[in-house]
Amino acid sequence: MSPARAVALIVDDSPVNRRLLARHLDTLEIDSREAADGRAAIEVLRSSGSDVAVVLLDIEMPVMDGYETLAAIKADETLRHLPVIMISSVEELDSVIRCIDLGAMDYLPKPFDPAILGARIRASLAGKRLHDLEIESAERQAELLHTIERQKEELSRFFSPQVAALVSSPEGAQLLAGHRRVATSLFADLRGFTSFSESADPEEVLGVLRQYHETMGALIMDRGGTLEHFAGDGMHVFFNDPILQEDHVERAVRMGVDMRAAFGLLAAGWAKRGYQLGFGVGIATGFATLGRIGFEGRYDYGMVGFAVITAARLSAAALADQVLLSPRTYADIESLVEVEQVGELSLKGFSRPIAPYNVLRMRSDVAAGTSA
Amino acid sequence: MTAGDPPILDAAVLAELRESTGGDDDFIRELVEAYVSEATGYLEAMTAAAGVADAAAIIRPAHTLKSSSATLGAMRLSAISRGIEEAGRAGRTDALASDVDQARATWTETLAALTAAGLAS
Repeated sequence: MSPARAVALIVDDSPVNRRLLARHLDTLEIDSREAADGRAAIEVLRSSGSDVAVVLLDIEMPVMDGYETLAAIKADETLRHLPVIMISSVEELDSVIRCIDLGAMDYLPKPFDPAILGARIRASLAGKRLHDLEIESAERQAELLHTIERQKEELSRFFSPQVAALVSSPEGAQLLAGHRRVATSLFADLRGFTSFSESADPEEVLGVLRQYHETMGALIMDRGGTLEHFAGDGMHVFFNDPILQEDHVERAVRMGVDMRAAFGLLAAGWAKRGYQLGFGVGIATGFATLGRIGFEGRYDYGMVGFAVITAARLSAAALADQVLLSPRTYADIESLVEVEQVGELSLKGFSRPIAPYNVLRMRSDVAAGTSA
Repeated sequence: MTAGDPPILDAAVLAELRESTGGDDDFIRELVEAYVSEATGYLEAMTAAAGVADAAAIIRPAHTLKSSSATLGAMRLSAISRGIEEAGRAGRTDALASDVDQARATWTETLAALTAAGLAS
């Protein structure tokens, strides 16, 4: 039993009835408030801090009768959840039915039988408690939703929008758990960055990186790439996951070409300040495993597979201004690009050399547009 | 009223009321006190309404007096009040004055019975 006693409001114009009901309620360990008519009852209910949990309502009353009172309670957003028990004599049963249609929960026959009163009050209070719990649970749910929304927002600051959306989607858990699919991986990094970062002021290094990240980040967003990570001057972006992109190869290649062009503009500015930096890209397509990679406390949404290693090695092998495609990637979009062969490269960890292609330009930069 | 009239004071109803409130005689006396004051007021209202043959105005006091009287075991006054309430609801004014006179006479008897039972002074 809760330490605080429940409170009932007795609305009856007869002091005899009020006194008798209050007495019975006291036996049931319920406190009572009293009102002699409907208007007084509504005043009690609307008064701040009203702790009334159930209303016992007479029908025939001066000033404001039971019907009007019931209607007023049910029309009030803050009161309508209150259980109302009609007090009625046997000959008033028709009126009681009308009241129950109007939203009364039950009725209490006169003369009062303490056992019936107890049963009806307990049922009403249980209903009220359930309602209170529902309200509480709804409030908690709203709070939870708010938290999730906030987390999503935070996530989208740290991760690519695709991954942020994925994490909070219903199928997110399944996708995060890992899956295999063909995807295109793009690695890019700067040439000459190590020596630049050793010789330049830290502020300048960070300033250059910020400009570089901002420019490349915008292109990644634009093409719908999933950024796995920025690591210093390097970055890994992949396509066709978690969002399926039929044209993932084309997207990756166009982005590589766009990045090269954007880098050209940045580098021109940096060159004036004496920074000699170059930019290389490697792109490869193939089956890969995608999902959550890392350990408890720090996870990335990542891509693992031969294509990833190939793209990384191609990026490392690329000379400044080269966008190197693996043979498979080139085969997929042959008609869209003008390329040059760069000869066979022996890449670290590969048993056989591969013959990548450097993209000179897109065949139709007009048709390419900027939005993918 | 005839030989089949309900009793002025039904001892069984009073006994049940006493039992249901834990045999607390002080509380019963308190309740009777409230009843006396309530009944006096309602009889006055009924007399006024009957005086101007206002059927609508007589309904509520008659209704409440019927109910409180039944609670305290004043069964005859309850029955008379019920008759008045019904006449009021039906809009019949012809017998209102004589019915209210009868109610007042019955009230006097009821009060005497309550006093005799040691519940009113």
